[in-house]
Amino acid sequence: MKYKKIITDFFILMALTTNISFIVSPNPYELVITVATNLAATILKVGEGRVLSTEMLASSLVADLHLIPALFVFFMGDQVEAVGLAQGALAANIISVIISIIETVLSAFTEEEE
Amino acid sequence: MRLKRKIRRKLKRKREPKLIEIYERRFIEALKELRLPLLMLHTALTVGTLGYMLLSGGDFINSFYMTIITIGTIGYGEVVAGSDTLYGRVFTSFLALMGIGVFTTSVTVIVRLFFKEDIITLYRAIKMLKDIEQLEGHFIVCGYDKTSAWLAKTLKKRKIEFVVVENDPNALKYLQEHNIKFFITEEPHKRSVLLSAGIKRAKGMVVNLRDDARNIAVIVTARLLRPSKEDFYIYSFASTDGTAEKMEELGANKAFVPDKLLATRLSAYIFHTGSAFISDLFDRIAFGEETDIDILELKVEPGSPLVGKKLRDIDLRRSLKVTIIAIRKPEGDLNVTISGETTVEEGDTLIIFGKPKNLRRAQKVLLEETYKVLEAKDEV
Repeated sequence: MKYKKIITDFFILMALTTNISFIVSPNPYELVITVATNLAATILKVGEGRVLSTEMLASSLVADLHLIPALFVFFMGDQVEAVGLAQGALAANIISVIISIIETVLSAFTEEEE
Repeated sequence: MRLKRKIRRKLKRKREPKLIEIYERRFIEALKELRLPLLMLHTALTVGTLGYMLLSGGDFINSFYMTIITIGTIGYGEVVAGSDTLYGRVFTSFLALMGIGVFTTSVTVIVRLFFKEDIITLYRAIKMLKDIEQLEGHFIVCGYDKTSAWLAKTLKKRKIEFVVVENDPNALKYLQEHNIKFFITEEPHKRSVLLSAGIKRAKGMVVNLRDDARNIAVIVTARLLRPSKEDFYIYSFASTDGTAEKMEELGANKAFVPDKLLATRLSAYIFHTGSAFISDLFDRIAFGEETDIDILELKVEPGSPLVGKKLRDIDLRRSLKVTIIAIRKPEGDLNVTISGETTVEEGDTLIIFGKPKNLRRAQKVLLEETYKVLEAKDEV
């Protein structure tokens, strides 16, 4: 078990779950937490992973670029648009989790080799 | 199980990474150091914003602003609702105590990382490797010492592009001082390094590593990548005549013994003390120092329109402003007593004297005419 991987995976999953909870019940706290976990996941993904590191970081950046505008749109009063943007981020987050799983499987293979 | 084996085989069959890929990976590794300070800053901002949001009842913009001015030691005042209450002040006190340290440390670490020599050097190296990928017909100079510096100066004068490969970090200072456009600070005998220096597209290479064994290693690696001596020229330095011979056998087009070369050149002056100007002129032309006048060897190929013609009829002096000073016969004899009556034969090599611009034009015109004659013959 790798300590670093637990933290990274925790934030990747947390980004997805908080994103869903904001879409289900939109409120300012949920949104701020979603943005915060997404940003944390992005920072942790810099240089992380061996096989699909680029894809992992790119998908996370996509989610950020949906959620940060959503934050401003939400506090300017347009809730519907903010939820729309959060749904876009959800798609990126789902892909992010899938890539993370593939990465884990592939690195398990390479570790066996070594 | 079969799938597992397949994936494993696919992962195992990795190709040799390019130098640019290694540098890019190192660049990302260097950026990895940003993670901890960024994460610390991010945590402080999130805790502060969420805390003030709870106090003010969800006012995000002002809460974020309040956090920034608190941990950034700006402290304009209690701008968010609820921060002037008892709970608010307790929260602000704790945030300031933890946040100010985190903020200043993180910002300092981030700024220092960006100005750290590694990141900037890596970024420049990546950019340079990308520019080298665009080069074609260039030369590769392995090793940078005083001789290479003189060579670089001459190549620059002649507008010939070149890439210097030198692994000594001390040489980096001189490379930058001498304004060398392209250089790679890596071990030159590595395949990936030579490939990154554009060996596949290069015209030639100069190996000057101050050590015979290292010179040989580079020559052999380069010759394996570019096997033809006709397409890719390798010039090297050797400490003795014997080593020079070995280098030539192993793939160098020509290996020079520097001491011997210097002595030969000096003796030329001693032997021609009476005609110092002309021997100096020939010397400079031969060594490429005279840029106003040059000598060109032009082989008369089969099918050339020059075959069978007298020099008087060709009259290159008037038409192309160059002079034929000698003719070398295929068997190697040099005819220096040529006149207007001398006839050009197939396989002869014309030694032409003139300005570099006119020589290049003459070469182009004569080659084109040969091509035209051959084409006309084919059509018939």
